Amino acid sequence: MDNKLIYMKDIVKYYKMGKSTLTVLDKVSLEIQEGEFVAVLGPSGSGKSTLMNIIGCIDVANSGEFSLVDEDMMKKNEDQLAYIRNRVLGFIFQRFNLLPKYKAIHNVAFPLLLRGYNKEKAYSRASELLEKVGLGDRMDHKPTELSGGQQQRVSIARALVGDPKILLADEPTGALDSKSGGEIMDLFMQLNDEGNTIVLITHDLQIAQKAHRIIRVKDGKIYA
Amino acid sequence: MNLIEILRSIFINIKGNKSKVFLTTLGIIVGSLTIVLVLAIGQGSQASVEEQFTSLNVGTIQIMSGFGRPGPGMVKLSMEEVEAIKEEAPSIDKVAIMINGRADVNYYNLSNSTTVGGVTEDLMEINNLKLEYGDFISAENNEYADRVAVLGVDIAELFFEEDISEAIGSRITISGKRYEIIGVLKRLGDSQMRGITPDESVFVPYSVAQRYIVGNNTNPNIIALAKDINNVSTGIEEMENILYDTFKDKSEQFMIVDAGSRLESAKASARVMTLMLFSVAIVVLIVGGIGIMNVLFVSVKERTREIGIMKAIGARKKDILLMFLFEAIIISAVGGILGIASSTLAMPIMNYFEVRVVPTSFGYLLAFGFSVVTGTFFGYYPASKAASLNPIDALNYE
Repeated sequence: MDNKLIYMKDIVKYYKMGKSTLTVLDKVSLEIQEGEFVAVLGPSGSGKSTLMNIIGCIDVANSGEFSLVDEDMMKKNEDQLAYIRNRVLGFIFQRFNLLPKYKAIHNVAFPLLLRGYNKEKAYSRASELLEKVGLGDRMDHKPTELSGGQQQRVSIARALVGDPKILLADEPTGALDSKSGGEIMDLFMQLNDEGNTIVLITHDLQIAQKAHRIIRVKDGKIYA
Repeated sequence: MNLIEILRSIFINIKGNKSKVFLTTLGIIVGSLTIVLVLAIGQGSQASVEEQFTSLNVGTIQIMSGFGRPGPGMVKLSMEEVEAIKEEAPSIDKVAIMINGRADVNYYNLSNSTTVGGVTEDLMEINNLKLEYGDFISAENNEYADRVAVLGVDIAELFFEEDISEAIGSRITISGKRYEIIGVLKRLGDSQMRGITPDESVFVPYSVAQRYIVGNNTNPNIIALAKDINNVSTGIEEMENILYDTFKDKSEQFMIVDAGSRLESAKASARVMTLMLFSVAIVVLIVGGIGIMNVLFVSVKERTREIGIMKAIGARKKDILLMFLFEAIIISAVGGILGIASSTLAMPIMNYFEVRVVPTSFGYLLAFGFSVVTGTFFGYYPASKAASLNPIDALNYE
């Protein structure tokens, strides 16, 4: 038994626009092992975000094989996918995607609250994670009261809070200046050293080079 | 997500949107306020109707005269008909004749123009009059045309102030003639005695009133009491026959009405009014509910990205549905409570302007219940819309 966390074979994703069909992913196959730090590199419009969304179970492929942790994802219903998103995956977005009305700590605790944790338990775990990403003194701030780099740290803490098998980061430094972007990348490398499996999407070769392996995507196809 | 955390998330949200939530709630506040007030007004008018009729026996039957053309062809009721009814109408228990007029009533230097009723002894029981002091007009008073008077309580208080017991034996002047006061009535409140408010009236013997107080043009009425409620219709028939025997065709100048049907029709019109107002309240609530639905739709749109985020980190359909549905229910429940609270402020004001309102706990419950039902009903659709959003579309929504 190998340690492959992500397995994709011949994944096809297309969008119907009126009569024409736009193929975004054209028979994409890939495997990612536990503990890897993989960068998916490609220009905008290459289909890398769609690939990411399918891995992240927020979008569904039209055909092909796709499994996470040896479980077939093509047959899951919506609530089962929600369960996977909550337990197996940790999502980090380019634009942070924090819930604007909640304090940092509530944002981080939210995935645990969704699991049915009570507030005390969820908050105590969330505060550990905020300490870890260096925001121990910003727990009661709302997203609007934080800088971009800080917001991204909150979203990393939120992705980590549920001990996911896979961290998915979609252009995590795309909205940040180079200094805070560099800090975020350092954080990712540290997290990978601690054993986290990371899949990072970027169009920036320099950032991709910090990963162990680069998967190049262009026109919906993978070039290894 | 457990319920407490769903509620906590909703409250954080509501707190961040106070003014919008208040505007949403306004429709529900007005709706629930309307329901409470409508039911209170309805209850108030029912109560007034019932109060007006407390002095009325349901078995009361009245012969009213004066429905013919004035002139020589006009016929009048008299003691003869009273005697005839007493003897020939077995369904009738008691019968009295009454004639009303206005006259100046004086006591020393105090003067008042008031209604004077000339009556026979049985009127007291038929109309549920009660004595505070002394006696009522007796058969003998009528027979000998004694100049005696029984005062309504307002008149007695006007002349004798606190000490109305002093009235007994005192003398008043009615239309220039002196009368001895033999009794004072208990307070009756609003009454449905035709053309007369007992509290503000003076009663004298029928024979005396006819002779000294009312003119020739005044028509007496006959008031009878059926043995019980089941004898009312046969009593009316018997009285109709007696009138026909006496007056033949001219008996059409009289109209016979019974109290039961008057009470019923008054109650029915009060009910119709309540029902009408109630349907207005329902319309107000529905409009309020549509308001909630619209605001929730806007809120779902505005928060589409948030919904996408929550789904991306593992919120299930049910979590989102409950979040939005409970938000609608909480908002409308709060609206209902605020409406009830404002009704308790509005009712004293309405009472001040003499709109009679009687609040009931049923009204409060109904207003609250309807508010919550409206919120749930109109909140469900936007909530299920939110819950069924596709996570990726929601995330990419601008």
